[in-house]
Amino acid sequence: MTDQASTGPDRPSGISGRMTQDVVAGLFLIAIAAFFLYHARGLPLGSLRAMGPGMLPTSIAWIMGAGGALLMVLSLISGGAVMTRPHVRGLFFVLGGIFLFGLTIRSLGLVVAGPAAMIFASFATEEVRPLEATIFAVVMTGFCILLFKYALGLPIPVVAFM
Amino acid sequence: MDIISNLALGFGVAFTVQNMFLCFIGCMIGTLVGVLPGVGPVATIAMLLPITFGLDPTGALIMLAGIYYGAQYGGSTTAILVNIPGEATSVVTTLDGHQMAKQGRAGVALGVSALGSFFAGCVATIFIAALGVPLTRLAQLFGPAEYFSLMVMGLVFSTVLARGSILKALLMVFLGLLLATVGTDLETGQERVTLGIQQLSDGIDFAPLAMGIFGFAEIISNLENPEARDVVRGKIGKLLPSWADIKQSTLPVLRGTFIGGLLGILPGNGAVLGPFASYALEKKIAKDPSRFGKGAIEGVAGPESANNAGAQTAFIPLLTLGIPPNAVMALMVGAMTIHGIIPGPQVMTKNPDLFWGMIASMWLGNAMLVIINLPLIGIWVKLLKVPYRLMFPAILIFCCIGIYSINNSVEDVYFTAFFALLGYVMIKLGFEPAPMLLGFVLGKLMEEKLRQALILSRGSFSTFVERPVSAGLLAVAAIMLIIALLPSINKKRDIAFQE
Amino acid sequence: MKKIIAGAFALALTSTAAFAQAYPTKPITMIVPFAAGGPTDIIARIVAEPMSRTLGQQVVIENVAGAGGTTGITRASAAAADGYTIMMGHMGTHGAAPALYPNLKYDPAKDFAPIGLAAGTPIIIVARKTHPANDLKEFIAWAKKEGDKANHAHAGVGSVSHSTGILLNSIMGTKPTFIPYTGTGPALNDMLSGQVDYMTDQIVNVVSQINAGTIKAFAIATPARSPALPNLPTTKEAGLDSYEVSAWNAMFAPKGTPPEIVAKLNDALVKGLDDAGARKRFDELGAVVPDAAGRTPAALQKLVESEVARWTPVLKEAMAAAKK
Repeated sequence: MTDQASTGPDRPSGISGRMTQDVVAGLFLIAIAAFFLYHARGLPLGSLRAMGPGMLPTSIAWIMGAGGALLMVLSLISGGAVMTRPHVRGLFFVLGGIFLFGLTIRSLGLVVAGPAAMIFASFATEEVRPLEATIFAVVMTGFCILLFKYALGLPIPVVAFM
Repeated sequence: MDIISNLALGFGVAFTVQNMFLCFIGCMIGTLVGVLPGVGPVATIAMLLPITFGLDPTGALIMLAGIYYGAQYGGSTTAILVNIPGEATSVVTTLDGHQMAKQGRAGVALGVSALGSFFAGCVATIFIAALGVPLTRLAQLFGPAEYFSLMVMGLVFSTVLARGSILKALLMVFLGLLLATVGTDLETGQERVTLGIQQLSDGIDFAPLAMGIFGFAEIISNLENPEARDVVRGKIGKLLPSWADIKQSTLPVLRGTFIGGLLGILPGNGAVLGPFASYALEKKIAKDPSRFGKGAIEGVAGPESANNAGAQTAFIPLLTLGIPPNAVMALMVGAMTIHGIIPGPQVMTKNPDLFWGMIASMWLGNAMLVIINLPLIGIWVKLLKVPYRLMFPAILIFCCIGIYSINNSVEDVYFTAFFALLGYVMIKLGFEPAPMLLGFVLGKLMEEKLRQALILSRGSFSTFVERPVSAGLLAVAAIMLIIALLPSINKKRDIAFQE
Repeated sequence: MKKIIAGAFALALTSTAAFAQAYPTKPITMIVPFAAGGPTDIIARIVAEPMSRTLGQQVVIENVAGAGGTTGITRASAAAADGYTIMMGHMGTHGAAPALYPNLKYDPAKDFAPIGLAAGTPIIIVARKTHPANDLKEFIAWAKKEGDKANHAHAGVGSVSHSTGILLNSIMGTKPTFIPYTGTGPALNDMLSGQVDYMTDQIVNVVSQINAGTIKAFAIATPARSPALPNLPTTKEAGLDSYEVSAWNAMFAPKGTPPEIVAKLNDALVKGLDDAGARKRFDELGAVVPDAAGRTPAALQKLVESEVARWTPVLKEAMAAAKK
């Protein structure tokens, strides 16, 4: 449902110059609404007086979808701000860093998950200095282990592989 | 006067060397842990709860209360400095607080927040001591119908949170309401839009949503615009609020304290609305509402006071009825129970020293907070000088550990990444996250209360207007909606023309 | 090291014995499938303290909340069966869950090595202060007469008050209107203001209100009266002897945990239940500690089987009715 945004036109002079931010925003909301309508389709609606589980998801999704359409129409009429290019590098390294943390925390523990996530994420900016990032990551991880594991006594895995 | 002798008893309990020390330690570690991005008050208290188990009941609860205030205040600090709200009530603080930080006024924002909170805390303490017991009767006027109407009123506030287009803000509220429907249906136990993911069966958690949409999405967006983040570390400005700042904040603090304190009494988590209501009010009565969202000091002073007053009066339903109004108070119940004190109407008569000791320690805790935090402001502000290329990985690791630790769940970490993506897309599309979070927080309560009210009335909608309190709240909501929409329609046209 | 043990069957007996003798050599994680501060968490923490002393290693509580406790139990059941991950299950996760969660990924009777029953909290039938009935007999007559006009509150599908409430109505033969809440607190609040009529809940959640007279209690669903509420009759005394339930909590290890290790853990648990400090705290909670015969792994296995058999038909029927 986020595809529209990342593949959405980011050149001002796009198809007809009308793919403004709000047009894409409208499409985005319509896509989310459709997603919810699809997944809530099997749930009984009930009646207004005795609502079923499907009543609110379905009705809110319709309202939001309709609002998205309105947003699109308004923008097609009156224009508006233009979409800008997404920052793929930032997205990739920051989200990747979080995923690395999730992948390694239980199996390997914080000694691996901490530096892995931090060093990977550091590359999200062009200003990255690999050596500095590595040293900083190791020091921060040590600090986190001392703080969370020993000072606060949280049951967080530190060296899970041993 | 009963209240004087009771308070004297309380202060006698709280002002022992041991309890003052515990209160200080509680405030200190509460602040230090609560300030970590990704660790809100609920997570902080859940983490620190076990360290109080070895103490005597009064000492443990005093320390825990200290942790609570510390975490609350630490959460506001994070909201101001790095735009990550630790809980629903500090969402509002991000709006103007973080803008102030970007303008080099972080110290002023933190100072006003500390002083406003202290004032609100003092008033709330007296309020609880004097009126706590009679006020519980007010709480009982609130059944499901009244809560529903209150939430409707809250949704009307949300239009005021918008910095840009009202239509887009409204649509974000609906997105929040929609996300709130995910999870097991209250009545039938059927799974709704959980996609077969077990962790979603209790619904989406606030922490991964807020951390993703605010924290991580903001990081990615900052990486994209080096100029935007350079402002933060560019100039630092004054560390403490000036006389003019304080004067400008006085009335908002008074109003915020009143609103927050009143809403906090409701056992159905009314405190969550306090900061939103205060912000809405300040923006409505301001001479120039367009300053809001761009670093208006009233937008920090009012909501922060409301937040702290509500955080404090939320103890009323717990101490007098035994009903925890929110997740933090539920943890307090656990803490009391583990010490053999079952919260309820009898705590006051059975354990008067504990009851009044705790109330006295509320004031003590607030005083400690100011003492601890005013000097700390300098350190926090200096942290902003850390180069962003180092700062953001540090924020990331704290958030990951914090999110993981709430439920010891890797899935929550993945959800956060997903919401970060969603949040980034929203930023790109010009949507604001605050109205969405308000919709999300109110959505859960609203559906629950709507359906309870309709089951109780056997399907009759007239219950909402027949019950006087509910009718009154709906009337206020309707009036506010009309006032809010009339000028904004004109304003929106103006903006459209400008573009 | 562990892999070698698991792989080489011939060596398994001797090595596990040696392994068990040394056990435990590192801290043990006890997964509690609820948030910190709830009744199950409190009981787990009370018993973990003396257990740590007996075992000579820390028993660390890890709270993994979600889906009525089934999230945590699912994870714990998949952990290595080496005695270093154990869990505190309860009436819901190991009794009611199979009926409530069609996609449950474990079988309470087959996928665990039971360690032993810990303390349980009794269930009480409570009603609003202004309720016309004065004892259980009058209450049953009232519930029958009112039919669906009666408002029965519960703390959400999957909660103890939900399951035990459905069981009560099924035994009384009544069909009230259920008002679902998201916890005991909000449900109690509406009971205090008289909006809902009655509910069933664990003693620790309601004892203070009962003693203060802000709500009425009709009976306690245990064989003996509780010292915390000595004037409250048992369901048997009050004439509803088939309604006997408690929110029991019990310790399990993943299936395949060596019996020597289970025996060590059971021994530590039993010592923990008899620990004077722990006993005092259980009494304050109104929790009931099982007798000697009820503390063995075999007794727990039998309890789990009988509980699953008891809850499944009642809850399945009620859930099907709610969906209509």
